[in-house]
Amino acid sequence: MSAVDQPSPLDAAAQARLIGLVAAARDRQAFAALFKHFAPRLKAFHLRAGLSGGAAEELAQETMLMLWRKAESFDPARAGAATWVYTITRNLRIDQARRQRGPAPQLPEEEFSPSPEAITLESEQAARMREALAVLSGEQRRVIELSFFSDTPHAAIAQVLNLPLGTVKSRIRLALVRLRDALGAD
Amino acid sequence: MTITHHPADDTLLRHATGALNAGLALVVEAHLTGCPQCRARVAGFEALGGALMEAEKLEPLAPAAFAEVLARLDEPPPVTTAPHVPRRAMLHLPPGMKLPDVLAGCDIGRWLWFGPGVRYSQVRLPWAPEANVMLLRVAANRGVVTHSHALHELTQILHGGYSDCTGSYGPGDMAEGDELLLHQPRADAEGCLCLAALEGGLRLGGWLGRLQRRLGQ
Ligand SMILES: [Zn+2]
Repeated sequence: MSAVDQPSPLDAAAQARLIGLVAAARDRQAFAALFKHFAPRLKAFHLRAGLSGGAAEELAQETMLMLWRKAESFDPARAGAATWVYTITRNLRIDQARRQRGPAPQLPEEEFSPSPEAITLESEQAARMREALAVLSGEQRRVIELSFFSDTPHAAIAQVLNLPLGTVKSRIRLALVRLRDALGAD
Repeated sequence: MTITHHPADDTLLRHATGALNAGLALVVEAHLTGCPQCRARVAGFEALGGALMEAEKLEPLAPAAFAEVLARLDEPPPVTTAPHVPRRAMLHLPPGMKLPDVLAGCDIGRWLWFGPGVRYSQVRLPWAPEANVMLLRVAANRGVVTHSHALHELTQILHGGYSDCTGSYGPGDMAEGDELLLHQPRADAEGCLCLAALEGGLRLGGWLGRLQRRLGQ
Protein backbone atom coordinates (compact mmCIF):
# COMPACT_ATOMS: atom_id res chain seq x y z
CA MET A 1 0.00 0.00 0.00
CA SER A 2 1.40 3.36 -0.92
CA ALA A 3 0.26 6.48 0.84
CA VAL A 4 2.35 8.99 -0.99
CA ASP A 5 1.55 8.59 -4.66
CA GLN A 6 -1.26 11.16 -4.85
CA PRO A 7 -1.40 14.58 -3.29
CA SER A 8 -4.49 14.88 -1.16
CA PRO A 9 -5.10 18.22 0.47
CA LEU A 10 -6.97 17.78 3.71
CA ASP A 11 -8.63 20.77 5.26
CA ALA A 12 -7.94 21.63 8.88
CA ALA A 13 -11.18 20.08 10.13
CA ALA A 14 -10.40 16.79 8.36
CA GLN A 15 -6.87 16.79 9.77
CA ALA A 16 -8.21 17.26 13.30
CA ARG A 17 -10.81 14.54 12.83
CA LEU A 18 -8.19 12.06 11.58
CA ILE A 19 -5.82 12.81 14.46
CA GLY A 20 -8.78 12.23 16.77
CA LEU A 21 -9.33 8.80 15.18
CA VAL A 22 -5.68 7.90 15.70
CA ALA A 23 -5.93 8.96 19.33
CA ALA A 24 -9.20 7.20 20.04
CA ALA A 25 -8.91 4.02 17.98
CA ARG A 26 -5.31 3.69 16.74
CA ASP A 27 -6.91 3.96 13.32
CA ARG A 28 -4.30 3.07 10.68
CA GLN A 29 -6.43 4.23 7.77
CA ALA A 30 -6.64 7.65 9.38
CA PHE A 31 -2.90 7.56 9.96
CA ALA A 32 -2.29 6.66 6.31
CA ALA A 33 -4.30 9.69 5.19
CA LEU A 34 -2.39 11.94 7.60
CA PHE A 35 0.93 10.53 6.38
CA LYS A 36 -0.07 11.14 2.79
CA HIS A 37 -0.88 14.74 3.59
CA PHE A 38 1.84 15.76 6.02
CA ALA A 39 4.92 13.66 5.24
CA PRO A 40 5.69 15.20 1.80
CA ARG A 41 5.13 18.69 3.21
CA LEU A 42 7.38 17.99 6.18
CA LYS A 43 10.09 16.70 3.89
CA ALA A 44 9.83 19.81 1.70
CA PHE A 45 9.87 22.05 4.78
CA HIS A 46 13.07 20.51 6.11
CA LEU A 47 14.72 20.45 2.70
CA ARG A 48 14.08 24.16 2.47
CA ALA A 49 15.55 24.57 5.95
CA GLY A 50 18.79 23.12 4.62
CA LEU A 51 18.64 19.46 5.58
CA SER A 52 19.85 16.84 3.09
CA GLY A 53 17.25 14.72 1.32
CA GLY A 54 17.96 11.77 3.58
CA ALA A 55 17.81 13.78 6.79
CA ALA A 56 14.63 15.61 5.71
CA GLU A 57 12.96 12.32 4.89
CA GLU A 58 14.00 10.77 8.18
CA LEU A 59 12.72 13.77 10.12
CA ALA A 60 9.41 13.60 8.24
CA GLN A 61 9.11 9.91 9.19
CA GLU A 62 10.05 10.54 12.82
CA THR A 63 7.50 13.35 12.98
CA MET A 64 4.76 11.04 11.72
CA LEU A 65 5.76 8.36 14.23
CA MET A 66 5.59 10.95 16.99
CA LEU A 67 2.18 12.06 15.72
CA TRP A 68 1.02 8.45 16.16
CA ARG A 69 2.44 8.24 19.69
CA LYS A 70 1.28 11.64 20.88
CA ALA A 71 -2.10 11.86 19.14
CA GLU A 72 -3.89 11.92 22.52
CA SER A 73 -2.17 15.17 23.41
CA PHE A 74 -3.59 17.00 20.39
CA ASP A 75 -6.13 19.53 21.58
CA PRO A 76 -7.99 21.29 18.76
CA ALA A 77 -8.94 24.07 21.17
CA ARG A 78 -5.27 24.92 21.62
CA ALA A 79 -3.87 24.83 18.12
CA GLY A 80 -4.71 23.75 14.60
CA ALA A 81 -3.50 20.35 13.41
CA ALA A 82 -0.84 21.80 11.10
CA THR A 83 0.44 24.00 13.93
CA TRP A 84 0.62 20.99 16.24
CA VAL A 85 2.52 18.96 13.63
CA TYR A 86 4.84 21.93 13.12
CA THR A 87 5.67 22.05 16.85
CA ILE A 88 6.35 18.29 16.88
CA THR A 89 8.76 18.51 14.00
CA ARG A 90 10.43 21.63 15.39
CA ASN A 91 10.98 19.94 18.76
CA LEU A 92 12.37 16.83 17.07
CA ARG A 93 14.78 18.99 15.14
CA ILE A 94 15.93 20.75 18.31
CA ASP A 95 16.35 17.38 20.08
CA GLN A 96 18.25 16.00 17.12
CA ALA A 97 20.67 18.90 17.23
CA ARG A 98 21.24 18.28 20.94
CA ARG A 99 21.24 14.50 20.88
CA GLN A 100 25.01 14.17 20.91
CA ARG A 101 25.23 16.34 23.97
CA GLY A 102 22.71 14.91 26.41
CA PRO A 103 19.12 13.94 27.16
CA ALA A 104 16.22 15.84 25.66
CA PRO A 105 14.92 18.73 27.73
CA GLN A 106 11.59 18.68 29.46
CA LEU A 107 9.45 20.95 27.37
CA PRO A 108 7.30 22.88 29.81
CA GLU A 109 5.27 24.42 27.00
CA GLU A 110 3.33 21.15 26.78
CA GLU A 111 1.84 21.89 30.18
CA PHE A 112 0.57 25.34 29.38
CA SER A 113 -3.13 25.74 29.46
CA PRO A 114 -4.39 27.80 26.58
CA SER A 115 -4.91 31.47 27.19
CA PRO A 116 -8.18 32.87 25.86
CA GLU A 117 -6.21 34.77 23.24
CA ALA A 118 -4.53 31.61 22.02
CA ILE A 119 -7.77 29.78 21.46
CA THR A 120 -8.98 30.31 17.96
CA LEU A 121 -11.01 27.98 15.89
CA GLU A 122 -8.35 26.16 13.99
CA SER A 123 -9.88 26.37 10.53
CA GLU A 124 -10.55 30.04 11.02
CA GLN A 125 -6.98 30.63 12.15
CA ALA A 126 -5.51 28.68 9.26
CA ALA A 127 -7.59 30.72 6.83
CA ARG A 128 -6.56 34.00 8.45
CA MET A 129 -2.93 32.94 8.35
CA ARG A 130 -3.14 32.15 4.64
CA GLU A 131 -4.73 35.52 3.97
CA ALA A 132 -2.12 37.26 6.08
CA LEU A 133 0.70 35.57 4.20
CA ALA A 134 -0.91 36.64 0.94
CA VAL A 135 -0.85 40.34 1.85
CA LEU A 136 2.88 40.33 2.56
CA SER A 137 5.08 41.74 -0.13
CA GLY A 138 7.48 39.30 -1.79
CA GLU A 139 10.33 40.79 0.24
CA GLN A 140 8.46 40.47 3.51
CA ARG A 141 7.34 36.95 2.78
CA ARG A 142 10.94 36.06 2.00
CA VAL A 143 12.33 37.30 5.33
CA ILE A 144 9.57 35.52 7.24
CA GLU A 145 10.20 32.30 5.35
CA LEU A 146 13.89 32.60 5.95
CA SER A 147 13.20 33.06 9.67
CA PHE A 148 11.62 29.64 9.64
CA PHE A 149 14.07 28.03 7.28
CA SER A 150 17.41 28.96 8.74
CA ASP A 151 18.95 28.20 12.09
CA THR A 152 20.51 31.58 12.72
CA PRO A 153 17.80 33.63 11.08
CA HIS A 154 18.95 37.22 11.10
CA ALA A 155 22.58 36.68 10.30
CA ALA A 156 21.75 34.02 7.72
CA ILE A 157 19.06 36.16 6.13
CA ALA A 158 21.40 39.12 5.90
CA GLN A 159 23.93 36.90 4.18
CA VAL A 160 21.47 35.30 1.77
CA LEU A 161 19.86 38.58 0.78
CA ASN A 162 23.14 40.47 0.90
CA LEU A 163 21.62 43.12 3.16
CA PRO A 164 22.81 44.82 6.33
CA LEU A 165 21.58 43.12 9.50
CA GLY A 166 19.65 46.25 10.51
CA THR A 167 17.68 46.22 7.24
CA VAL A 168 16.78 42.58 7.75
CA LYS A 169 15.62 43.25 11.31
CA SER A 170 13.43 46.17 10.24
CA ARG A 171 11.98 44.16 7.36
CA ILE A 172 11.06 41.37 9.75
CA ARG A 173 9.49 43.89 12.11
CA LEU A 174 7.40 45.35 9.27
CA ALA A 175 6.30 41.92 8.12
CA LEU A 176 5.33 41.05 11.69
CA VAL A 177 3.28 44.24 11.99
CA ARG A 178 1.35 43.20 8.88
CA LEU A 179 0.81 39.75 10.30
CA ARG A 180 -0.31 41.09 13.66
CA ASP A 181 -4.02 40.72 13.06
CA ALA A 182 -3.70 37.15 11.93
CA LEU A 183 -1.43 36.32 14.82
CA GLY A 184 -4.20 37.05 17.26
CA ALA A 185 -2.44 39.74 19.24
CA ASP A 186 -3.69 43.16 20.01
CA MET B 1 1.94 40.94 38.88
CA THR B 2 1.85 43.39 36.02
CA ILE B 3 4.28 42.68 33.24
CA THR B 4 5.43 45.75 31.38
CA HIS B 5 8.58 44.53 29.61
CA HIS B 6 8.26 41.65 27.17
CA PRO B 7 10.72 39.91 24.84
CA ALA B 8 10.96 41.52 21.40
CA ASP B 9 8.86 40.02 18.61
CA ASP B 10 12.06 38.90 16.90
CA THR B 11 13.00 36.93 20.00
CA LEU B 12 9.58 35.29 20.30
CA LEU B 13 9.66 34.44 16.60
CA ARG B 14 13.08 32.86 16.95
CA HIS B 15 11.83 30.92 19.96
CA ALA B 16 8.89 29.62 17.90
CA THR B 17 11.21 28.51 15.10
CA GLY B 18 13.57 26.74 17.49
CA ALA B 19 16.45 29.03 16.55
CA LEU B 20 17.31 30.36 20.01
CA ASN B 21 20.16 28.65 21.78
CA ALA B 22 19.19 26.47 24.74
CA GLY B 23 20.05 29.08 27.36
CA LEU B 24 18.06 31.91 25.77
CA ALA B 25 15.18 29.49 25.13
CA LEU B 26 15.12 28.56 28.82
CA VAL B 27 14.90 32.19 29.91
CA VAL B 28 12.14 32.85 27.35
CA GLU B 29 10.27 29.83 28.76
CA ALA B 30 10.59 31.33 32.23
CA HIS B 31 8.94 34.50 30.89
CA LEU B 32 6.22 32.59 29.02
CA THR B 33 5.23 30.72 32.17
CA GLY B 34 4.02 33.98 33.65
CA CYS B 35 2.94 35.85 30.53
CA PRO B 36 -0.27 34.85 28.69
CA GLN B 37 0.27 37.67 26.20
CA CYS B 38 3.62 36.33 25.00
CA ARG B 39 2.31 32.75 25.06
CA ALA B 40 -0.42 33.86 22.66
CA ARG B 41 2.20 35.57 20.51
CA VAL B 42 4.35 32.44 20.35
CA ALA B 43 1.24 30.38 19.58
CA GLY B 44 0.61 32.78 16.69
CA PHE B 45 4.14 32.29 15.36
CA GLU B 46 3.76 28.54 15.66
CA ALA B 47 0.54 28.82 13.66
CA LEU B 48 2.58 30.73 11.09
CA GLY B 49 5.05 27.83 11.01
CA GLY B 50 2.13 25.45 10.51
CA ALA B 51 0.76 27.60 7.70
CA LEU B 52 4.14 27.74 5.97
CA MET B 53 4.45 23.97 6.21
CA GLU B 54 0.92 23.54 4.83
CA ALA B 55 1.83 25.80 1.93
CA GLU B 56 4.84 23.69 0.97
CA LYS B 57 4.88 21.88 -2.31
CA LEU B 58 4.87 18.10 -1.98
CA GLU B 59 8.27 16.47 -1.84
CA PRO B 60 7.75 12.75 -2.47
CA LEU B 61 9.25 10.31 0.02
CA ALA B 62 10.90 7.06 -0.97
CA PRO B 63 8.32 4.40 -1.93
CA ALA B 64 9.14 2.38 1.19
CA ALA B 65 8.93 5.34 3.59
CA PHE B 66 5.32 4.78 4.63
CA ALA B 67 5.79 1.03 5.13
CA GLU B 68 8.86 1.72 7.27
CA VAL B 69 6.89 3.96 9.58
CA LEU B 70 3.93 1.57 9.61
CA ALA B 71 6.26 -1.23 10.73
CA ARG B 72 7.38 0.86 13.68
CA LEU B 73 3.96 1.93 14.97
CA ASP B 74 3.76 -0.89 17.49
CA GLU B 75 7.30 -0.46 18.74
CA PRO B 76 7.42 0.72 22.31
CA PRO B 77 8.62 4.31 22.51
CA PRO B 78 12.40 4.44 22.96
CA VAL B 79 13.48 3.99 26.55
CA THR B 80 14.84 7.27 27.76
CA THR B 81 18.16 7.06 29.49
CA ALA B 82 18.13 7.38 33.26
CA PRO B 83 16.85 10.85 34.03
CA HIS B 84 19.44 13.33 35.13
CA VAL B 85 19.30 13.96 38.86
CA PRO B 86 19.95 17.67 39.16
CA ARG B 87 22.61 18.82 41.54
CA ARG B 88 21.19 21.76 43.40
CA ALA B 89 22.99 23.91 45.88
CA MET B 90 20.89 25.05 48.83
CA LEU B 91 20.41 28.57 47.61
CA HIS B 92 19.38 31.18 50.09
CA LEU B 93 16.41 32.83 48.42
CA PRO B 94 14.25 35.76 49.48
CA PRO B 95 11.37 34.64 51.73
CA GLY B 96 8.44 33.25 49.77
CA MET B 97 10.35 33.06 46.52
CA LYS B 98 10.70 29.87 44.56
CA LEU B 99 12.72 29.22 41.46
CA PRO B 100 10.84 28.91 38.16
CA ASP B 101 9.72 25.43 37.14
CA VAL B 102 11.78 25.61 33.95
CA LEU B 103 14.90 25.17 36.11
CA ALA B 104 13.65 21.81 37.42
CA GLY B 105 16.09 19.70 35.37
CA CYS B 106 19.08 22.03 35.77
CA ASP B 107 22.12 21.89 38.01
CA ILE B 108 22.32 25.03 40.10
CA GLY B 109 25.51 26.13 41.76
CA ARG B 110 25.91 27.94 45.06
CA TRP B 111 25.98 31.71 45.33
CA LEU B 112 29.37 33.04 44.48
CA TRP B 113 30.55 36.42 45.52
CA PHE B 114 31.14 38.98 42.87
CA GLY B 115 31.72 42.18 44.67
CA PRO B 116 29.74 43.89 47.41
CA GLY B 117 26.05 43.13 47.10
CA VAL B 118 26.39 41.10 43.91
CA ARG B 119 26.25 37.30 43.74
CA TYR B 120 25.76 34.82 40.97
CA SER B 121 25.00 31.13 40.70
CA GLN B 122 25.81 29.16 37.61
CA VAL B 123 22.95 27.22 36.02
CA ARG B 124 23.92 24.19 33.98
CA LEU B 125 21.53 22.66 31.47
CA PRO B 126 22.30 18.92 31.24
CA TRP B 127 20.91 18.88 27.69
CA ALA B 128 23.08 21.82 26.66
CA PRO B 129 26.16 22.02 28.91
CA GLU B 130 27.62 24.83 26.83
CA ALA B 131 24.69 27.14 27.54
CA ASN B 132 25.59 30.27 29.42
CA VAL B 133 22.91 30.75 32.08
CA MET B 134 23.05 32.14 35.58
CA LEU B 135 21.04 33.42 38.48
CA LEU B 136 22.11 36.88 39.50
CA ARG B 137 21.32 38.56 42.79
CA VAL B 138 21.89 42.20 43.54
CA ALA B 139 21.33 43.52 47.07
CA ALA B 140 18.81 46.23 47.90
CA ASN B 141 19.52 49.66 46.46
CA ARG B 142 22.80 48.47 45.05
CA GLY B 143 23.92 49.69 41.67
CA VAL B 144 25.94 47.82 39.08
CA VAL B 145 27.40 48.88 35.80
CA THR B 146 26.72 46.37 33.10
CA HIS B 147 28.57 46.91 29.92
CA SER B 148 27.51 44.10 27.68
CA HIS B 149 29.22 42.96 24.53
CA ALA B 150 27.10 39.86 24.14
CA LEU B 151 25.22 39.53 20.86
CA HIS B 152 22.01 38.88 22.68
CA GLU B 153 21.32 38.81 26.37
CA LEU B 154 18.03 38.01 28.09
CA THR B 155 17.26 38.70 31.72
CA GLN B 156 14.05 37.57 33.39
CA ILE B 157 13.25 39.24 36.72
CA LEU B 158 12.26 36.65 39.31
CA HIS B 159 12.10 38.76 42.45
CA GLY B 160 12.46 42.40 43.38
CA GLY B 161 13.45 44.67 40.55
CA TYR B 162 15.71 47.36 39.21
CA SER B 163 15.64 50.57 37.21
CA ASP B 164 17.90 51.91 34.52
CA CYS B 165 17.75 54.30 31.60
CA THR B 166 15.37 51.93 29.75
CA GLY B 167 12.78 51.80 32.54
CA SER B 168 11.77 50.00 35.70
CA TYR B 169 11.74 46.21 35.77
CA GLY B 170 9.80 44.07 38.22
CA PRO B 171 8.93 40.39 38.71
CA GLY B 172 7.82 38.79 35.44
CA ASP B 173 9.51 41.41 33.27
CA MET B 174 12.13 40.53 30.74
CA ALA B 175 15.02 42.80 29.81
CA GLU B 176 16.77 42.37 26.49
CA GLY B 177 20.20 43.67 25.76
CA ASP B 178 22.59 43.54 22.87
CA GLU B 179 26.05 44.78 22.09
CA LEU B 180 24.77 48.35 21.99
CA LEU B 181 23.24 48.49 25.44
CA LEU B 182 25.23 50.26 28.11
CA HIS B 183 23.31 50.85 31.28
CA GLN B 184 23.61 51.34 35.01
CA PRO B 185 20.90 49.29 36.65
CA ARG B 186 20.10 50.01 40.28
CA ALA B 187 18.29 47.40 42.36
CA ASP B 188 15.17 48.56 44.16
CA ALA B 189 14.49 48.37 47.91
CA GLU B 190 13.85 44.61 47.76
CA GLY B 191 16.99 43.90 45.81
CA CYS B 192 16.83 42.04 42.52
CA LEU B 193 17.08 38.37 41.64
CA CYS B 194 17.04 37.41 37.99
CA LEU B 195 17.73 34.61 35.53
CA ALA B 196 20.01 35.58 32.66
CA ALA B 197 21.33 33.96 29.51
CA LEU B 198 23.65 34.98 26.73
CA GLU B 199 23.96 34.18 23.08
CA GLY B 200 27.25 33.18 21.65
CA GLY B 201 30.17 31.30 23.03
CA LEU B 202 31.16 33.87 25.63
CA ARG B 203 32.48 32.38 28.83
CA LEU B 204 30.88 33.13 32.14
CA GLY B 205 34.06 34.78 33.33
CA GLY B 206 34.14 36.92 30.24
CA TRP B 207 30.68 38.22 30.88
CA LEU B 208 31.12 38.75 34.58
CA GLY B 209 34.42 40.34 33.82
CA ARG B 210 32.41 43.11 32.23
CA LEU B 211 29.99 43.35 35.08
CA GLN B 212 31.56 45.82 37.41
CA ARG B 213 30.26 47.01 40.70
CA ARG B 214 29.59 50.63 40.99
CA LEU B 215 31.11 52.53 43.87
CA GLY B 216 28.88 53.66 46.67
CA GLN B 217 25.33 52.78 47.52
ZN1 LIG C 1 5.45 38.75 27.90
